[in-house]
Amino acid sequence: MMGERTVSALYAGGTLVFVLLTWQFAVTVLNVPAYFIPAPTNVVTALIRGRDLYAAHFMVTLWSTLVAFGVAFLLALLLGALVSEVRFLERTLYPMLVALQSMPRIALAPIIIVWFGFGPTSKIVLGILSAFFPIFLNTVHGLKVVDSDQIALMRSFRATRSQIFWKIKLPNALPFLLAGANIGIIFAILAVIVGEFLGANKGMGYLIVNQSSQMDTPGVFANIVLLSATGLVFHYGLQALRNRLLFWASGSEAAGTSA
Amino acid sequence: MTDPGPPIMQLVGVGKTYQTRDGKGVVALTPSTLDIQAGEFLSIVGPSGCGKTTLLNMMAGLIAPSSGSIQIAQSAGTAPRIGLVFQRPVLLPWRRVIDNVLLPVEVMGLAPPEAYRARALELLAMVGLEGFANAYPSELSGGMQQRVSIARSLVYDSAVLLMDEPFAALDAMTREELNLELLRIWKMTGRTIVFVTHNIPEAVLLSDRIVVMTPRPGQVREIVPVPLPRPRALSLMGDPDFGAIADRIRGMLRPAGAALAA
Repeated sequence: MMGERTVSALYAGGTLVFVLLTWQFAVTVLNVPAYFIPAPTNVVTALIRGRDLYAAHFMVTLWSTLVAFGVAFLLALLLGALVSEVRFLERTLYPMLVALQSMPRIALAPIIIVWFGFGPTSKIVLGILSAFFPIFLNTVHGLKVVDSDQIALMRSFRATRSQIFWKIKLPNALPFLLAGANIGIIFAILAVIVGEFLGANKGMGYLIVNQSSQMDTPGVFANIVLLSATGLVFHYGLQALRNRLLFWASGSEAAGTSA
Repeated sequence: MTDPGPPIMQLVGVGKTYQTRDGKGVVALTPSTLDIQAGEFLSIVGPSGCGKTTLLNMMAGLIAPSSGSIQIAQSAGTAPRIGLVFQRPVLLPWRRVIDNVLLPVEVMGLAPPEAYRARALELLAMVGLEGFANAYPSELSGGMQQRVSIARSLVYDSAVLLMDEPFAALDAMTREELNLELLRIWKMTGRTIVFVTHNIPEAVLLSDRIVVMTPRPGQVREIVPVPLPRPRALSLMGDPDFGAIADRIRGMLRPAGAALAA
């Protein structure tokens, strides 16, 4: 007997195979040129033939993304905690950051490249700017929506503010924090790619621009396959982390109120 | 209960007025005076809006009274002088049952931890949750979760245990079962319990004395002694003396001329 998850995976995999086969068939039958829409086999061939090239550029993009995400995450956590704990900062820093959040940060990319150069630094800065806000806003929200009875309970034990923060507020905020991280990592990879489009000498974004200017469409598709796979790995990685850390978060409230 | 000795908690002229935006105040509780004797089971009964939760929160030190003072006899060391049980269990869902019970020990830094751990396990056995120490709250029923919260309130020494309608969210059968269990725990531990409820039979079944409160403005109407013999069983509820006390309280809560919603 197969489990529910295996069945779901089979359905998803089957659909993917079906789409790829249809694609391959259509492109072959309709005689679509490879520079316009490459067949899946063209893409795989490009990927295998250029594996060293892809690996080198992929590592640059991956590294920039991970650094940007990591810095954004720590910064968002720190500022989120400060804004939700310190009344003064909530009144000064928070509205400022909320206002900045509505700014289209990707529009800053050309200027950021002027400021930080063609190397990975400018991409990391763009990635931080993009990934920071979803994580920050979720963290602040998560730290605010705390059960007032849990706070009253802690106060009845004469808990200090830091005990209340670490033992109550932060665990309560964790679901929001991870939801923010899930969006943040996608924003980070997007921003890094856009930065590499605009001015770089390494990275997947650079490679895509380069290849498409040479009509190497199979190569561009190979990049996209790699990036999609990376996105999926991030998504499922965070999902796995969520399942591990937040086993308690679903249904626990409902169980708490039922008699 | 004939020779009460010095009270463990003394409320003298304790009142609470909330400031409203237009500058006028809303009286949540008119100044009230109350002595709580060591080891007694005292209930506070009244409809919503009578200030019973306000009174309890002031006893718990969660809100400051607008007038009067609350004195609590010094209990062991620096431990908080009150224990608190809410209407909801208020367990931390990411902690195992045992770690929920040990939360106050951790927060207060009570030592040695092993001794408290052993005590927590004993308390879990006492509330009928032996073998559930490593379960998560979501794996327990509402009644079981409330038992965990009772164990948590007992794991450290407190002068007075304050319970704010702890069984109100439970079904009638679980409620009766936990009422009897609470009486047993009270007897075993010798704690002083202040128990807020709006259920009159529950108050009569459990208490030595019942503080009857009335709303608009919230005030202590009368303190009714319950001289029924102990140990008490559910069958006591059919006793004419029981009925007489319950009726008397019901009469106080039905003020002549006042509009009563419920």
